[in-house]
Amino acid sequence: MKAISQRQSLVSNLLRAYTALLRAWLGVALTYRAQAMFWLLSAVFPLVMLVVWLAVENEVGPVNGWTAADFISYYVAAAVVYRLTVSWAVWQWDEDIRMGGLSVKLLKPIDPAHSLISEHISWLIFDLVTIVPLVVLLAWLLPVMSYPIGPAMWLAAVVAIIGGSVLNMLMAFSFGMIAFWSTQSGNVFGLVSGVGQFLAGYIAPLALFPEAFRNVALLLPFRSTVGLPVEIMQGRLAWPEIWFGLAVTATWIVIFFTIYRLLWRLGLRRYEAVGA
Amino acid sequence: MAYLRLLSIFYKNSLITELEYRLQFWANLGLSLFWLVWAALGVRVFFIHTATIAGWRYEEVLVVVGLFFALNGYRQMFIQPNLSRLSQYVQQGLLDYMLTRPVNSQFLVSLRYIGVHNWGDPLLGLGLVAYAFWLLGYAPGPVQVGQFLLLALAAVVLLYSLNLLLQTTTIWLVNIERADTLVWSLLEAGRFPVDFYRGWVRLALTVLVPVAFFTTFPAMALLGRLEWWVAAVALLVALLAFVAASAFWRFALRSYTSVSS
Repeated sequence: MKAISQRQSLVSNLLRAYTALLRAWLGVALTYRAQAMFWLLSAVFPLVMLVVWLAVENEVGPVNGWTAADFISYYVAAAVVYRLTVSWAVWQWDEDIRMGGLSVKLLKPIDPAHSLISEHISWLIFDLVTIVPLVVLLAWLLPVMSYPIGPAMWLAAVVAIIGGSVLNMLMAFSFGMIAFWSTQSGNVFGLVSGVGQFLAGYIAPLALFPEAFRNVALLLPFRSTVGLPVEIMQGRLAWPEIWFGLAVTATWIVIFFTIYRLLWRLGLRRYEAVGA
Repeated sequence: MAYLRLLSIFYKNSLITELEYRLQFWANLGLSLFWLVWAALGVRVFFIHTATIAGWRYEEVLVVVGLFFALNGYRQMFIQPNLSRLSQYVQQGLLDYMLTRPVNSQFLVSLRYIGVHNWGDPLLGLGLVAYAFWLLGYAPGPVQVGQFLLLALAAVVLLYSLNLLLQTTTIWLVNIERADTLVWSLLEAGRFPVDFYRGWVRLALTVLVPVAFFTTFPAMALLGRLEWWVAAVALLVALLAFVAASAFWRFALRSYTSVSS
């Protein structure tokens, strides 16, 4: 009986902490005016890639069956999904661990990860209410964009986006833990994300890569963060393929969560040893 | 002459600071190389499906990608550590301090620091250009190289002038954080030849905003596809932009009333 009530108070404490943290981070998001520019910055690259595909399609006709409308639908969705799943937490961990800001955060009665998680969620909410309506409006004005799927698949797409977002954050957390041992955690994560942008389908749709490459990409974590949700939205995947993709996502979430927690324990021991 | 001596002191200063972190210095070269390969492979994807895009072969596009890399490296070495901080100078009152120096103020806000971080980018970018010509199996002649040097000079001056024009507005607007992303996005469009863009976009990128002058025209000069009159126009545009930006800077300073007064 006592154990249950203790657990209940733990959960309600965490809930209260999250409400406070979320409110604080949303405040930050709303006052951060440079955000509009940031969005522009991350959207230029997919836009440039899209334009080149349109030039290719114009010359040789449909590329592997992809028409101009397909490319437009793909890259617009990819730009949005990328924005919704991206995580910069690695830089925060790097700064906290290297500069010692972590010491202060460790004094608080709550794991420092919760602050980063709520920051991630606040940006997600912020983007959802600012960017998504804009894109819906765009899709309505430009009827070439089409996402011909039913409600069940939309639900799957939303689940895939949430999964990709969680996975990206846990990947950033795992690489952030490198900061306990090296000053290069940010650079290492940068390199991995660079390779990942190919495997995610961010640079170009995976369907247009050689088959061997595609088969590898299907099993790696990166596709979950862009390719999978967008392919679902375009109606390119049948249910078995969707389930497979979601299963891959879930597996990598478990793997990176384990890596992150393990490195966190090991690193913390080392961190305290340095500080004391 | 005095200005050249100043420059050498400034840059020696930046270099010494950077060499404190010797491993980082070389690690940066590795990172630059990685992103160069990344950019080249990103283009390769298109050419799985086609032999030419708007008349450009893969190797020819690599010339443009190399020049984009080099010019972006120049931006990160010279423009980012200087002009991009102008807004900060104004907010923190550092501009007052710079204006009291017995040196041309435009010189000081434009060239005081050098970002040694990206020292490999211009070299690697030009290396990719050389590699692309090796793949193509011929070398540009002296005429083409001469034309290229003129166009490269125009590109460098033009990019600088656009940044100065934009950043100078901070004198009135005070807070224009990240205004340089505007120019950066323009440059990003120069990752590929402007011929890839169609209709009014290409027209805009050539006439309205001079993206074509950044990478496409210099690459065409090397490939021996450019008329002389384009080189002349490029130099003229760059010169006009420079004169206009300098005049705008002096005009802005006249209406500058520091933070304290």
